[in-house]
Amino acid sequence: MQNQNDMVKDEAEVAASISALKGEEWGCCSVEDEPSFQEEESAKVPYVGDKEPLSSLSAEYQAGSPILLEKIKILDNQYIAIRRTRGDGNCFFRSFMFSYLEHILESQDRAEVDRIKLNVEKCRKTLQNLGYTDFTFEDFFALFLEQLDDILQGSDESISYEELVNRSRDQSVSDYIVMFFRFVTAGEIRTRAEFFEPFITGLSNATVDQFCKSSVEPMGEESDHIHITALSDALGVAIRVVYLDRSSCDNGSVTVNHHDFVPTGTNEKEEEASAPFITLLYRPGHYDILYPKSSCKVSDNAEK
Amino acid sequence: MADERYNRKNPAVKRILQEVKEMQANPSDDFMSLPLEENIFEWQFAIRGPGDTEFEGGIYHGRIQLPADYPFKPPSFMLLTPNGRFEINTKICLSISNYHPEHWQPSWSVRTALVALIAFMPTSPNGALGSVDYPPEERRTLALKSREAPPKYGSPERQKVIEEIHHYILSKATVVPKPIPQECNQAPSTESETQSQAEPQEATTVVEEQSIATTDTTPDDQIIEEAAEAVNRSASVSPTARALATVEVAARASGSGEQTVVRRAAQKPADDRLFTLAAVGLTIAIVVLLLKKFIRSGGYGAGLMDES
Repeated sequence: MQNQNDMVKDEAEVAASISALKGEEWGCCSVEDEPSFQEEESAKVPYVGDKEPLSSLSAEYQAGSPILLEKIKILDNQYIAIRRTRGDGNCFFRSFMFSYLEHILESQDRAEVDRIKLNVEKCRKTLQNLGYTDFTFEDFFALFLEQLDDILQGSDESISYEELVNRSRDQSVSDYIVMFFRFVTAGEIRTRAEFFEPFITGLSNATVDQFCKSSVEPMGEESDHIHITALSDALGVAIRVVYLDRSSCDNGSVTVNHHDFVPTGTNEKEEEASAPFITLLYRPGHYDILYPKSSCKVSDNAEK
Repeated sequence: MADERYNRKNPAVKRILQEVKEMQANPSDDFMSLPLEENIFEWQFAIRGPGDTEFEGGIYHGRIQLPADYPFKPPSFMLLTPNGRFEINTKICLSISNYHPEHWQPSWSVRTALVALIAFMPTSPNGALGSVDYPPEERRTLALKSREAPPKYGSPERQKVIEEIHHYILSKATVVPKPIPQECNQAPSTESETQSQAEPQEATTVVEEQSIATTDTTPDDQIIEEAAEAVNRSASVSPTARALATVEVAARASGSGEQTVVRRAAQKPADDRLFTLAAVGLTIAIVVLLLKKFIRSGGYGAGLMDES
């Protein structure tokens, strides 16, 4: 009985605090134009950094956990370089963007460009079917397609590697492409709501629609397995994520885990034949780009 | 800045021009919005007060500023017509559907924001900054007054846009709100209006004086307030019960105005749904917070709740 009384009291308190909260949400314009401390800090790092040797990673953890140092040593055997991205909540999409475009620039793989363009068209239809107004997303789509065309050599607009880096650091290109990926991701999640729903409920207690509105479409919202799965499926591009965290095996041996996000519809043979050409390094809360050593195709020493 | 303004390759300009085009192609009876010719990032708008509320028939003008990195950052809104729900000449935060402004998304537009603004008019401000909470009678007076002339604001060019918008909305907003009972003559109401825009507290006293004269409206208002309070207090009741209570409040609020029955019948379901959604959303938030609290207090929370 006493318990019940307490509960009622608590509920009243919570209700009061919620209505206060709602009030704040409404009048919170005061902070606008002034960038937060966090924004200022992250602005010192470009959206997409330069290629750095992996030693720069171990330097970061010199005084840190021995497990991490051990793991970096293992990474050093398989990967040749790292490219950092700004920690502004868009790092997964930004890393994916640069990694993908750089791959196309280097490989000049026209078949891949044709393939992804078909997927982009599908995504456009998906958004239209979901009731998105055309003008709210078409600029973002157009800009991404433009980059693909510019990256393929042989036309007047063809761009160099330096230009790709410049564009990736230019907000008016970089943010638009990030937003393009956010649209694609949200479209995929919404159309396959039954598939994604259990993951979303498990993660955030939100509905699919709320999740897309609060965690996918707004810029600066961090990405999770759900985003990666959806983007990989929607565009048909496999992504390998290498995890650098403090976890270790029970028997004390240290291995570096990775997970391949393979788009649905890929058959097993295709999957085995080629490791994903996009490799990202995940450290809790952040994604960067990793470059495998070309000689060893990263032997599968970790579970799928 | 001046260069950017006319640079059509600027993605923000490109997007804004598209929105202008879309607005013109699909005009609405409920609002109108136009950019200034000299600066496409500066818009004027007017919305019609939503039907079956004390704002019905009102024409509320305002100003929109689009940020340089639109649509990544939200537009900001400012109302210019005294309305009794939002402060005037103050930026109001249009978070849209209760999301924090940093959750603004590029898939929204000026149109989305205006629709949301109309939907927000009849909601309770909950003491939020940039909001005021005038009694319905006062709001009705302001709604009536708002039709007479648009506000005087800014440059002659802006004023021309304001007049154009006012003329358009006036042609759409044919329903004239019922004049409040004759006891409320023009003099005190206009006086109270000017005072109240400056100091909300004084407005309340003026309205109290009015309600002594117009006895028939007073009980209604009290009931609404009490009912609203009851809803706030009964936060622990089940979602459906709370939703029902809120809807009831809404019904009374619109009933007290004695407005045209036909229109109410048409508008009602939308209103109800809005209130129900709001109530359900709030309840979910409460439950989540409660759960968190229980789990945090000692880790035995979930089990205990089932037993008690």
